This record gives sequence, C-alpha cells and structure tokens, in this order.
Amino acid sequence: MSKTDDTQLIERCRSGDRQAFESLLVEYEKPVFNAAYRMLNSRDDAQDVTQTVFLKVFENIGQFDPTRRFFSWIYRITLNESINWLGKTNRLEPLTHEAAFEGKGPEQEVESANVSSSVQAALMTIKSDYRSVVVLKHFLGCSYVEISQILDIPEKTVKSRLYTARQQLKGALTGNS
Amino acid sequence: MAIEQKYADLINAAIDGEISAEHKAELDTFLEGNAEGRALHDELASLCGALDGLDQEDPPAHLRHAIMNSIPPTRKPDESPGFLHSLLAMPAFKYAFTFAAGVILALTIVDSSNLSNRAFDDVTGLVGTIAQPIDSTLASAISVDELDVAGVVSLRSAGSLMILDFDLNSRKHIEIEAGYSDPSIWFNGFAQLESDDTTVAAAPGRVRLGMKGKRRYAVFLHNQGEHETTVNLRFLADGEVVHKASLEFKPKD
Repeated sequence: MSKTDDTQLIERCRSGDRQAFESLLVEYEKPVFNAAYRMLNSRDDAQDVTQTVFLKVFENIGQFDPTRRFFSWIYRITLNESINWLGKTNRLEPLTHEAAFEGKGPEQEVESANVSSSVQAALMTIKSDYRSVVVLKHFLGCSYVEISQILDIPEKTVKSRLYTARQQLKGALTGNS
Repeated sequence: MAIEQKYADLINAAIDGEISAEHKAELDTFLEGNAEGRALHDELASLCGALDGLDQEDPPAHLRHAIMNSIPPTRKPDESPGFLHSLLAMPAFKYAFTFAAGVILALTIVDSSNLSNRAFDDVTGLVGTIAQPIDSTLASAISVDELDVAGVVSLRSAGSLMILDFDLNSRKHIEIEAGYSDPSIWFNGFAQLESDDTTVAAAPGRVRLGMKGKRRYAVFLHNQGEHETTVNLRFLADGEVVHKASLEFKPKD
C-alpha cells in the first residue's frame, strides 16, 4: 500500500471511521503478527501483542505525525510492545543456547529439515535489541535507513547491530555461542 | 587473521543490497585475494538466505475479528457536545444536576427489585452494535471485596450466548483475566456503558480486560452446544493476583 493510501486511511480513522481502521488492520495484521512472533517465539503471545498494538494505534492515531511513514510508527509500537511483553514475562534476557534448542539433537539444529525452528531458536539466544534489527531487516524487509528511523538510532548503529546479531546467530546455529 | 572491519561491513552491505557500485568493486577485489573474506561472505549469505527464506506465519483466523470487537466505539470529532453537556458546563447547573442525578439513582436502586434484566442500564442486554435487548438467565455470580477492586461479576446465559457481566469499582488500574478451557467456547463481543477506559483483548481460551474506576461492561462468549463450563477469573493489580474466583454454567436439564 502506498504512503498516500495509508495517509487517507489514517485521516478517515481520525474521523472515527472504523472501516478505514479495518483496512489498516487488513494491511498490517500479518507483518505485525510476524514481527511479534519472531520477537517472542510464541503464537499466543504474538496474538496478544498484535491485539495490543492495534488498540494502541486506534487510541493514539490522533498523535501520529502524518509526515512520517505509518509502517515506521506501527512497527516501532510492535517492537516496543514485544520487548515490554518479554519484560513482563521475565524473558527479556536471551535464552541460553541449551534452553533455546531444548529437545533438539545437534544434527537437528542445522539440518535443513528443521531450519525454520533452528533459526527461530537461534534468534531467541540473542538480545532483544539485536533481534529487533534482524526482525526489521529480514522479516519486515526494511532498509538500513528505515530501521534507523523506526528504532531511532543512527544508521551506523543499525549496521553494527546487524553485524553482531548475525555473528551471534551464526555461533548459535553452529553451537559455538 | 581477522578480517578488517571495513571489509566485514562491506560484506554485510553487499548481502543486504545496500552497497554502492564503487564499494562493490572494492569488495570484489578484496574477496578475490582473501579466502577468509570469501568464507565469511558465504557464511553470512547462507545465514541471511535462511532468515529470508522463513515462511511468514498466518495470524489466527479470528484475530482480526477479535481486534475489531475490542476497539471501543468512536465518536466523530466534529460531533457537537450536545445540549446536556453544554448545560453541565455551567457551574450552577452542574451541582443541581448532580443532586438530581443522586435522587434519581437512589430511587432506581430502591425500586430495582422490580426491574427485569431488559433495563437499558444493563449491558448484558446489548449485543454487538445493534444493541438489541435480550433475555438472559443468571447462571452464577461472585462478589469481589478487595482493597483495589470491589463489585460483582455474574455469568448469564441466553441460548448459546454466555454473558459475563462486570459491575466493578477499582481504585487503580486493574486487569481481569477470564479463562475458559473448553475449546468450543469463543469470544463473541464486548459492550460497555462507559465509552472509554476499559480495554479488552481476546485470545483462545481467555479474555483479558483492563479497567480503572467504576465500570459496567459485558463480555459475550459463544458456547456452541451450551456445554457445562467454568470460567476462571483472576484479578490483577500491579501484576499481582489480588483475587481469584470461578463462575459456573450448567445447562438446564
């Protein structure tokens, strides 16, 4: 969806148009849910966070700055809510390699048959700040500049966090964390 | 030998497709003569390929419906405040109205034994946005009398519809979790007398509510087959459980 389309929908939302809100929900439900899922590694938790995110969007749509991109705003809310959720459930610290890969044999960790769950488990071993940049880059397809705007950090920090995150992921997947 | 940070950064930028032509040429020259650099490039490219290749998860089918049901009804900003609000803005009328409202409330309470549950101040009679009053039968009720929250929660039924009727007063923000283990029961809607301050979030097997102050609202659950069931309530203040209770529904023989 283009920025213009989003802007029109947001204007209508501000006027109390529920149908416009539902259009935004249709557009962003899946990326928001996926971002939360990758941050939390739980469909139930991702569902709760997605619901909270859209409630916050609805309640605070009047404060959204229309000169900015809507996706930046909603993705920032999603990551913040996910990190808050991790804090509430005392899971803010990354899982140990053993806990993240619990129940999987060493072969299974990197075998292609289980790549998806192995990569997700590896993601849970890195700090949430690093996980955020990976989620934005690889699951939401954001550029360095967009990540910098969403997280409100310099582009240079985005690059260094991505680099560190990838090194740690590589270590986790090969069992060298 | 460690790879110079500059080339490590260029490798990442190349994999992310965020490298200029000039830097790309510089990186290619470096990689041609550096096996360690090529190994790092291949490892990172493989990792990024695995990350990019993960399937997108589909959100639960009911999530969109649950979100739309949980957002409060909106009032258009261009709506005028109305006669009553304008009148109440005048100090003299404000006190007079408060006194009159108190008298009316007292009379209503005194005479409440004669009211049916079709009364318009009863949220259990409102369904969806149409607000059709419906008849319901009381299944069970509990009282809460804690420092942070007090009031009554009742469970009513009307066919396959179960209605959790909350009439509570809290001195601070509290959260209430209503859990039901029967997978055939699902969240079907929410209604409230006040227009704001109460939040609702539904997930399979539970509904979570947030509120502060005096609030009256209802949660509608669909109980296909009208099974016997228990709804477990947990009241939380500052993240701590301050009260637990259960509401029972037993179908009529």
